[in-house]
Amino acid sequence: MTTRRTFAITALTLGAAAPLAQTPFRRHEASIDVDELSRAIELGDDHIDAVDLAEWIQERREGLRVIDLRSDGQFAAGHIPTAENISIDALSGIAPRRGETLVLYSEGGAHAGQAWVLLKALGHERVYFLRAGLFEWEEEVMSPTLATDATDDERRVFERSEKVSQYFGGEPQRDVPRSTRALTTRELRRRGC
Amino acid sequence: MMAPLFDTIAAGTVASGGIALTIGIAFGWTLERAGLGSARKLAGQFYLTDLTVVKVMFTAIITAALGVFWLGWWGVLDVSRVYVPETFVIPQIVGGLVFGAGFAAAGLCPGTSCVAAASGRRDGMLVVGGLFAGVLAMGFALKPLASFYRSTPLGARTIPAQFHISYGSAILALVLIGLGVFAGAERVERSHRAVHA
Repeated sequence: MTTRRTFAITALTLGAAAPLAQTPFRRHEASIDVDELSRAIELGDDHIDAVDLAEWIQERREGLRVIDLRSDGQFAAGHIPTAENISIDALSGIAPRRGETLVLYSEGGAHAGQAWVLLKALGHERVYFLRAGLFEWEEEVMSPTLATDATDDERRVFERSEKVSQYFGGEPQRDVPRSTRALTTRELRRRGC
Repeated sequence: MMAPLFDTIAAGTVASGGIALTIGIAFGWTLERAGLGSARKLAGQFYLTDLTVVKVMFTAIITAALGVFWLGWWGVLDVSRVYVPETFVIPQIVGGLVFGAGFAAAGLCPGTSCVAAASGRRDGMLVVGGLFAGVLAMGFALKPLASFYRSTPLGARTIPAQFHISYGSAILALVLIGLGVFAGAERVERSHRAVHA
């Protein structure tokens, strides 16, 4: 049998079998350890805050990937520096890699929280999300404020924010009357909302 | 190990360069072995006297399509990570026309011109020089042409999505078309040889 005939027969055989196989895309097997995930949530190991993320970006933390889960239009309008735009339905395409740290965010935090569960189920070890999403970044990194009657704790938090805010071109504000200052997402969380 | 390798083994610059070099060497060697470093052979397809290029291309297309499909099905290749270029209808038609005119005039395409140049052929070297000059000129012209360059976008289209058929059916259709073209090319060459015998 000639080479051409062998090639033709092989190609026809594989080609004829292809419709039976339907699709070449991987089915992504995943498993959830409910106890492990609930422990991580309880201990707060599922999320980081915006200032943590800003510090990681500033120090160019190795293996860091910031993932923006919003639409491409929203991403184009503005996003956290170094972020990649990946939709939730494309997350299964991110294979776990050693040494990688993923930080997810969305507009608020709902999608990012859901995506966190998906990536943990797919075997990613170091995954976090911003609980209040881009709102948190805007408030705590780009426009942190310090009330005139701030407590020592609040001052410490603000000083940390102020440092990274200047790096990212934000506008920290000191001595803002508490009555005119909106509650931050951090304060809302503290009050149990 | 899961392919595509660039995405999954987190290769550094040296390893990535090594993989690219190996693939490039294999590609160049294959083209040279098929005789595609010769402008005469390449020009022959436009006169229907020598359809080696068509046969090599369709052999490669069928091999790659079957390889991607079955390696993906087997789990060796993550097909969702394979880059699918975007479609821009009018710019790509215009680019194709320019490319076709250049190919016919030079008797060499970009890949085969590099093969010819590497084989010591002067025509290949001149085409490679022209190629880089054209790329440089396009770089300068990109800003004024930006709106045309990005016009009529259709996104990253695939045949299965476009025609609402399964990937497997698209592969079978591709194989049948490819083998048909191959057989047709052989017939055209035989009839040309018979006429000129």
